[in-house]
Amino acid sequence: MSKSDRQDGPSRRQFLALGGAASGLAAMGLSAGWAENRPSVDAATVAGSEHETDVLVIGGGMAGLFAAVKAHDAGARVLLVSKGRLGASGQTPFAKGFFAYDAARESLSIDDFVARVSRSALGTNNESYTRQLAEHSLDRARELKAWGFFDQVLANRPFLKPITARDIPLMERVMITHLIKQEGRIAGAAGFRLDSAETVLFRARAVVLCTGAGGFKPNGFPVCDLTHDGSIMAYRIGAKITGKEWNDGHFTRADNPAACFDNWGDMFERIPGTTGIEVHHDLGVESNYVAYETGNPLPGGPPGSVGGRKTSGGPVTPQEFQRRAGGPGGPGEGGPGSGSRRDGPPPPPDDGRKPAGGAPDFAMNASQMGGASAGMSIHKSEGLVPMDARCNSTIPGLLAAGDALGSHMAGGIYTQIGSSLAGSAVQGAIAGEEAAGYAARSEQARITPARRDGILAEILAPLKREAGYGPAWVTQTLQGVMIPNFVLYIKKESLMRAALAYVEELRDHHAPMLRAADMHELRLAFETRNMILSAEMKLRASLKRTESRCSHYRTDHPETDDANWRAWINILQGADGQMVLEKQPFGSWPDQS
Amino acid sequence: MTIKSIHGCIGCGECVQSCPCDVIRLDPSSGKAVIAYPEDCQICHLCRLYCPVDAIEMSPEKTLPVITPWG
Repeated sequence: MSKSDRQDGPSRRQFLALGGAASGLAAMGLSAGWAENRPSVDAATVAGSEHETDVLVIGGGMAGLFAAVKAHDAGARVLLVSKGRLGASGQTPFAKGFFAYDAARESLSIDDFVARVSRSALGTNNESYTRQLAEHSLDRARELKAWGFFDQVLANRPFLKPITARDIPLMERVMITHLIKQEGRIAGAAGFRLDSAETVLFRARAVVLCTGAGGFKPNGFPVCDLTHDGSIMAYRIGAKITGKEWNDGHFTRADNPAACFDNWGDMFERIPGTTGIEVHHDLGVESNYVAYETGNPLPGGPPGSVGGRKTSGGPVTPQEFQRRAGGPGGPGEGGPGSGSRRDGPPPPPDDGRKPAGGAPDFAMNASQMGGASAGMSIHKSEGLVPMDARCNSTIPGLLAAGDALGSHMAGGIYTQIGSSLAGSAVQGAIAGEEAAGYAARSEQARITPARRDGILAEILAPLKREAGYGPAWVTQTLQGVMIPNFVLYIKKESLMRAALAYVEELRDHHAPMLRAADMHELRLAFETRNMILSAEMKLRASLKRTESRCSHYRTDHPETDDANWRAWINILQGADGQMVLEKQPFGSWPDQS
Repeated sequence: MTIKSIHGCIGCGECVQSCPCDVIRLDPSSGKAVIAYPEDCQICHLCRLYCPVDAIEMSPEKTLPVITPWG
């Protein structure tokens, strides 16, 4: 955040030693597993700072920006904290399309738009949030325009404009590891700085999680800094989590699949723009099914073709939303070959116009490699269960917005392009206003010294271990278990139970023994722990949903089962610490009990 | 290599702050950017795009084995 922070890093000697060790292992292509810990940070001398605010916003992407601005404008003292840099972390920097519904221009009414989304999403969308997107998106687009968002490639400066104008305190490069609940409601959060040996503790009347979604640090999608931190922290203090069985179907190229930038053509260097409101059924697991049945990688091809291959069976796209190019009925319509892929990750701009700078040509020619975003659900479909349409979670004073909120705005499939970014703006603004209102009528819950000390000890534990598992090695192991097409995407009970056994082992015998030598590795340790729990959630939710629908596909339950499964799956921590899964019927809100 | 090289760094720290994965740090002695954690690079080029003097050269290859669903 400031130069003084950066100067508190490791000494040059320590720095070079660390770099050398990392390079050596990398040259072998391996991360160290169990090994002695040789910390460059002395856990005994780590400093601590404490901060107080009305509304704490966690996350510096599109949702966090609007949450902070609107909470401030509603009269609250706000503090914005981000693991990375404002507008330059998470998926916001790479999203270039912004859905904007202009009632004066559109022939489709909002009622008809919502109904069409619901038909594409097979009922999986929450109509309140779908409607909210359409109603508020144009206002958010206008504010962004005034801040210069649509005039640039890099979002940091336009995002700073309203934050600086309001003098909202901004703390960047701080990882939050714990939410704190006391007296049955939110009391604050805690974490640590990346640039100095310092823990940070926040007392807040309300907390808005704008922490994005996450994946298993996959290759080919710019989501490696997101590890479901918000959902997992919230789950640990009793919040309900939903949407874990859905799969985002973005893919990458077979050549250098990890190269996000190269694989999205000039997408990352494009100026953002607004998108149209067409409704699709895109980017589920259709191409994963084709690859599963016919081999891989898939050759490139025009939108909707999935490499021109045809198979029988597989995920079903509603007839109304089948793409012309792929032939009727087959898996492939609306798959990652459809328009959205050409337009890039987190759903991209495509209003029928050729984007400024020219469309990337990779998609038409290059062989495809699926699962670029492995570990991530459809945007807005996974995260904290909302109690209402105002972004409140099941814990008083804890709100979420954007990809951290399981709003099911679009449902378990991509139904419109550009809505992910716009939805984050819309929900962030509502959550910010709501949090300010809550903070104004609530007292700060007291954080007991014992609770504070316990949390700080948990944060520093990986630094203090004399030996332990390297977070990178545990992550690689998790990737090997979870990412295969036949586990994560083309599901069946036997393989998911096998994977779950591995994941439980990582949860019980590896996560508690992660080591960290410095603040960077401490971040990796907590990210790894969060990914393990997210993997468990994905497997348990996928096992429970004994049907196929949208981006969830099981070979042992290939049909959609409306009699039993017009319901979302919520996950919460039971009294014994185990995951409890429950159904919540589509179109309903959670029980208040 | 992911981030392949940094030449002509002016020590402004833009890349350090803009890297989502905390790959780059400023060397405390020289004040210049160095590739501290190359294995965590997601090859998104944000560091290169934020660099005001175009000092960063990228490579599309990861330093770690790349695990993908389709193998």
